[in-house]
Amino acid sequence: MSEIDKIFAADGQLAAAVPGYQPREAQVTLASTFYQTIKAQELLIAEAGTGTGKTFAYLLPAVLSGKKVIVSTGTKNLQEQLYHKDLPLVKKVTGQRIKSALLKGRSNYLCLNRYKLHKAHPHLEDKQLYKDLREVEEWASRTQSGDVGEVASLAEDSRAIPLVTSTVDNCLGRDCPDYEDCYLVNARKKAQAADLVVINHHLYFADIAVKDTGFGEILPDSDVVVFDEAHQIPDIACEHFGERLSTRQLIELAKDIETLYRSEYKDTKQLGKASEQLSKSCRDFRLAFPILAEKGNWREKGQQSDVQAELDNLVKTLDFLHDVLKANLSRGKELDNCFERATEARDKLALLIRWEVEDVSLWYETSVRHVSLNLTPLSIANRFSRIRTDKEQSWLMTSATLSVDGRFDHFTGILGLKDYRSLELESPFDYYNQSILCIPRYLPEPSERSAIEAMLTVAEQLIEAAQGRCFLLFTSYRVMNLMAKALKKRIANPIFVQGETPKRELLDKYLQHDDPVLLATGSFWEGVDVRGDALKCVLIDKLPFASPDDPLTEARIENCRRKGYNPFRQIQIPRAVITLKQGAGRLIRDVKDSGVLVICDPRLVTQSYGEIFLASLPNMRRTRDLKTALMFLKNTETNNG
Amino acid sequence: MAAQVTFYLLPEEGSPGGPSSAQLYACQLASEYYRKRQSLFIYCAGQTQAEQIDELLWQFDPARFVPHQLQGEKSRKRPPVEVGYQASQQGFHILINLTDEVPEFAGQFRQIFDFVPADNSGKEKARSRYKNYRAAGYELTTQPAQFAPTETE
Repeated sequence: MSEIDKIFAADGQLAAAVPGYQPREAQVTLASTFYQTIKAQELLIAEAGTGTGKTFAYLLPAVLSGKKVIVSTGTKNLQEQLYHKDLPLVKKVTGQRIKSALLKGRSNYLCLNRYKLHKAHPHLEDKQLYKDLREVEEWASRTQSGDVGEVASLAEDSRAIPLVTSTVDNCLGRDCPDYEDCYLVNARKKAQAADLVVINHHLYFADIAVKDTGFGEILPDSDVVVFDEAHQIPDIACEHFGERLSTRQLIELAKDIETLYRSEYKDTKQLGKASEQLSKSCRDFRLAFPILAEKGNWREKGQQSDVQAELDNLVKTLDFLHDVLKANLSRGKELDNCFERATEARDKLALLIRWEVEDVSLWYETSVRHVSLNLTPLSIANRFSRIRTDKEQSWLMTSATLSVDGRFDHFTGILGLKDYRSLELESPFDYYNQSILCIPRYLPEPSERSAIEAMLTVAEQLIEAAQGRCFLLFTSYRVMNLMAKALKKRIANPIFVQGETPKRELLDKYLQHDDPVLLATGSFWEGVDVRGDALKCVLIDKLPFASPDDPLTEARIENCRRKGYNPFRQIQIPRAVITLKQGAGRLIRDVKDSGVLVICDPRLVTQSYGEIFLASLPNMRRTRDLKTALMFLKNTETNNG
Repeated sequence: MAAQVTFYLLPEEGSPGGPSSAQLYACQLASEYYRKRQSLFIYCAGQTQAEQIDELLWQFDPARFVPHQLQGEKSRKRPPVEVGYQASQQGFHILINLTDEVPEFAGQFRQIFDFVPADNSGKEKARSRYKNYRAAGYELTTQPAQFAPTETE
């Protein structure tokens, strides 16, 4: 019996430490296969359905291996759960005294220098901001980690956060008077020295991007890398392999230069002029775009004459600013920092207007006041596969949703992964008896005008049968808001709509009621874990195909077509399958859960690609009869009551 | 050229309350011929039966998936299989007949599948359909139904 088998056995160490522990075949298979992978320095790609217990399955072998390990996961919440809940248990079970560390991105840590600056100049004019900063102040005196997330009363989007944290742009680095006490530096040092570091994907790829430019790396060298929630990797890697420049950054730069000009460099009139010009060019550049916020094709837009004129203006302004700052080099740390930022912005803009470069998508996005220009590579296979093979490492990439129709080709193709072992581990849940998948009859296709009214009628019946306790998940804000408005008139249940409050708070409120209904889009399709009777029914408005209007999707589709493939089959279906699997995964979270999944999109039944979706979803009992689904909801109610 | 009619001889019925062997075999044929890139219209005796067929097709194992719609459901791209109990629109290759009569619109199909149930009354009705097809000039063949091993769900 191997070491792994012993730990996971019915009378093993895990059973001794976890009350009610039962060996699960899938979990043991994943653990022992990963253990072999570690020894052989291979790549293991494993889909582990909900409830297989994949966290222990990788943490135990990773810790037992005695090697340096990085565990990267999807979100900060998951990082914390892993670090504070799962890892201590694993340490206890294995008896290994390993050093571990939790490392988050820069914007999570208190920047003492900036904090002191804002403490000295209180923002009295903004009450909420003032209050938030006072909370930070109270906490700052006693924090060990400097992780701003510890200030529970602070909203995720509090305006205090950017004031008391740093960015790569405004960090003074080694020149900072508070460098010795810097929370970020200390967290990184701790991570460097640790045997096991828990990070998130954004941090991992930000670090890779930094390495590429030749600057120092943050993450320690490691022998083993685990990517949990690995289905997010393609998009996140793509984002970090691209370039982005926004007028917001430029205006911040202009403001910083202006502050310096007014305080320390009053004699240097050119600084004042250059910063003023930059602010003005940015504003004019924004005005070259339509008033309403939008996303679009930058390659086309940037070459239109009216936009081109403002663009030329912006390029000239940045050149001028660069020259002015260069002439004033070595006069002060802050000013030198501005020179570096101006140089970087100038170089980035040059990359963003190379219209002739193929294999990248150039797109823009506008908000009320700002424009961002973006470059996203269409293929990351070469670059990603080098990350895999550069070092002699063992990798695990795992998630509940990686395969499409029983194959991993889609995932490995995007990432250029060739040598790997794969595992598909089924969830231990009895989906056939615990759940129903219903595509109601006679529903119009989602693009039809009558679709919303039909969906309302379905939703209303489900909400009644399940006594609230429904998630209605949407592929667009537009439909979500229409449904929310109409439902509020028709039902008495408490209704919670995404956007009203932050995600975690919205879920807390949902859980406080007996018969709540939650309407949400994007971020709620993933990582929401509501167990038991609090969630009986999930309704999905349509198959989550990425909108071809999105400039990045459009570019990917076009690129695929140029290469002679069918973009619908190659790109849109696989992505939609993974998203739908995630959304459907919200329903059954536990062995005892039961519930109904309703998808208001007849194309799942009528179109040939329905086969791929069905083969990729858990084996729920299927019906087209809404009454059957309603009966199921009512019956489970009486059973439990 | 007159269409070909194939009568499938069905085994004894299984458990009462479940789908009839004609319904099951109709669905199997739909799956088989959809995979041969044929389009099919499954003609039912009424709404209840049509919805039963719809349900059966939807519950097929994904490997035997049949993209289909009920008559009256509207798809931008019409699926290759339609299930209904009213005269069909033009354009399907094959008719599967689950009614007791020879459909009036049978003439538009290249191929027709019909069934001979194991019970006497069913057999009697099938015999009369057989005669009517022959009278209308169709080419007729008869063969035993061969059920594919069903998936265990």
